[in-house]
Amino acid sequence: MSLTRRVLSLAAIAGALSAASMPASAVFPAAYKPTVLQPAGTPQRHEFDLRPALRRAQREHKRLYVYLGASDCPYCRRYEAFLERHADELVPHFAKDYLVIDLRSSLSVTAQQLYFRVGDKSLPYAEFMRTIGDERERMLVYPSVWLFDGAAKPLMQMPAGTGTFETVPEQLEILRLQQ
Amino acid sequence: MTPSNRRRFLERLAACAGVPAAAWAAPGGLPSAEHDASSPEWEHLSAQLFPGRRLQQGQAVVQIVAPLRAAYGASVPVKVMSKLPQRPELYVQRLHVLVDKNPSPLAAVLDLTTEVGQADFETRLRVDEYSHVRVVSELSNGELHTDSRYVKTSGGCSAPPNRDALHLLGKTVLRVAGDVHIGEPTSASVTVVHPNDTGFELNQVTVMYIPPHFVRSIRVSYVQRKVFDAELDFSVSENPTLRFNFVPHGGGELRAEVTDSRDGQFVGTLALG
Repeated sequence: MSLTRRVLSLAAIAGALSAASMPASAVFPAAYKPTVLQPAGTPQRHEFDLRPALRRAQREHKRLYVYLGASDCPYCRRYEAFLERHADELVPHFAKDYLVIDLRSSLSVTAQQLYFRVGDKSLPYAEFMRTIGDERERMLVYPSVWLFDGAAKPLMQMPAGTGTFETVPEQLEILRLQQ
Repeated sequence: MTPSNRRRFLERLAACAGVPAAAWAAPGGLPSAEHDASSPEWEHLSAQLFPGRRLQQGQAVVQIVAPLRAAYGASVPVKVMSKLPQRPELYVQRLHVLVDKNPSPLAAVLDLTTEVGQADFETRLRVDEYSHVRVVSELSNGELHTDSRYVKTSGGCSAPPNRDALHLLGKTVLRVAGDVHIGEPTSASVTVVHPNDTGFELNQVTVMYIPPHFVRSIRVSYVQRKVFDAELDFSVSENPTLRFNFVPHGGGELRAEVTDSRDGQFVGTLALG
C-alpha cells in the first residue's frame, strides 16, 4: 500500500472513530419537531408506514423530509450533530416547508428487510425505490433522506448519505430543491 | 493521444494532486464553486491539453448537463449537448470530457465524424470529490468551446465494486432508441459489461486494492463507416455506456469494437433494417 493510501485509510478510520465517539442515542434533533416512526413487523421485517405522514403533509400543504437513521451509525450521528449545532439557522427553513419524519432503524436492517408502506402497498426497499424512480435502489446507505410531496412524489433525486449537505448553505440548497 | 503520450500526460497530472485548495473552502470546510469557474487543476490541465489555444467559455456551442448532487459518486449522469449539426463545412471534431479532481481527470476523448449527425453524448462518470465536470468541444475549424458544471459528490473512484456480472465481462450491447430515421440522426447506445476497475477500490474480503482494469476504447462504425472513436479511462463508471447519434443511410450493421486495459478485445453488432 502506498504511503498516500495508508494515510488516507488511517484518516478514514480516525474520522469514523471520531464520529463513533458521539452519543449513540442521538436522533433527529427535537428542535426540528420530528415525527418519530418506529418500524412495524419486526424482527422479520422493518416496515415504515408513511401514510399518516403523507396525509398530514396534504392537510398542511407541506413537504416531507424523510430521514432514515440507524441507532448504531456514526455518519447518522455526524449529520444529527450538525443539525443540532445549526438548529437556530436551519429550523425556520425546515419549519416553513417541511414536516420531518424520523425513521428509526439500525445497521443490521438490510435492504431486504426494510419495507415502506405507501398507498395500499408495502414494498421492500429496492422495489420501493424503483417505483419512485430513485437511483439509490442499488444500495441502502445509512443515513438516507427523501423529499416527498403529499402525494409521495419524490421532489428531487437525493444523494446517497448526507455528507454533501452538512454545511448550512448546502442544507439550504437541499431544502430549496436546488439541482 | 498515443498510449505513451497518454501515460506521460497522466504522470504529469499526478503532480497536480497536491495543489492547495484553501481558497475554495466554504463554511464548514467543504469546497464550493460556481459552475463556470476555473480551478487550479483545470488551469494546469488546460495548459497541458490545449497549449497556447483560446478556450471560449459558454453554452453557445456546447453544453454539459450534470446534477449538482448525484445519487452515487461512482455513477454521475453526464450529458453533452452540441448546438450545431454535424455538417462537412463545420462540425464537432472532438469532445474532451474531464473531471478536474479525479485521479485521472481526462475521462473521455471522442473523435467524431459527420456520420454522428448531431454530436450529443450521454454517459456516467465517477466523480471522486467535489469537482467541476467539463467538456471541451473542438470544432473542425480549430475553435475550442468549453462548458462546465460543479458536482458535489465523493468517493466515486473508491466505491465498492459491483461484481454481479463478471462472467459477462466484455459483452457489448448496441441498442437503437425508437425508430431508425434514414438520413437523419438516430439515437443509439453502446454498453460494455465491464467493472472498469479504477485501482482505488478495496476488495472487502481480501482487504487488497483491486488492480485497475478498464475499457480503453470503443470504436463505433455503421456499414464500415466510422461514426466515432472514444478513448476512455476509469473515470467512466462501471459497465461503460455511451448514448450517441448516428445517421443511417440504409440498412446495415452497427458495430462497436472495444479494447480494455488488459488488451481484451470485444465486439458488439446490431443489424438494422
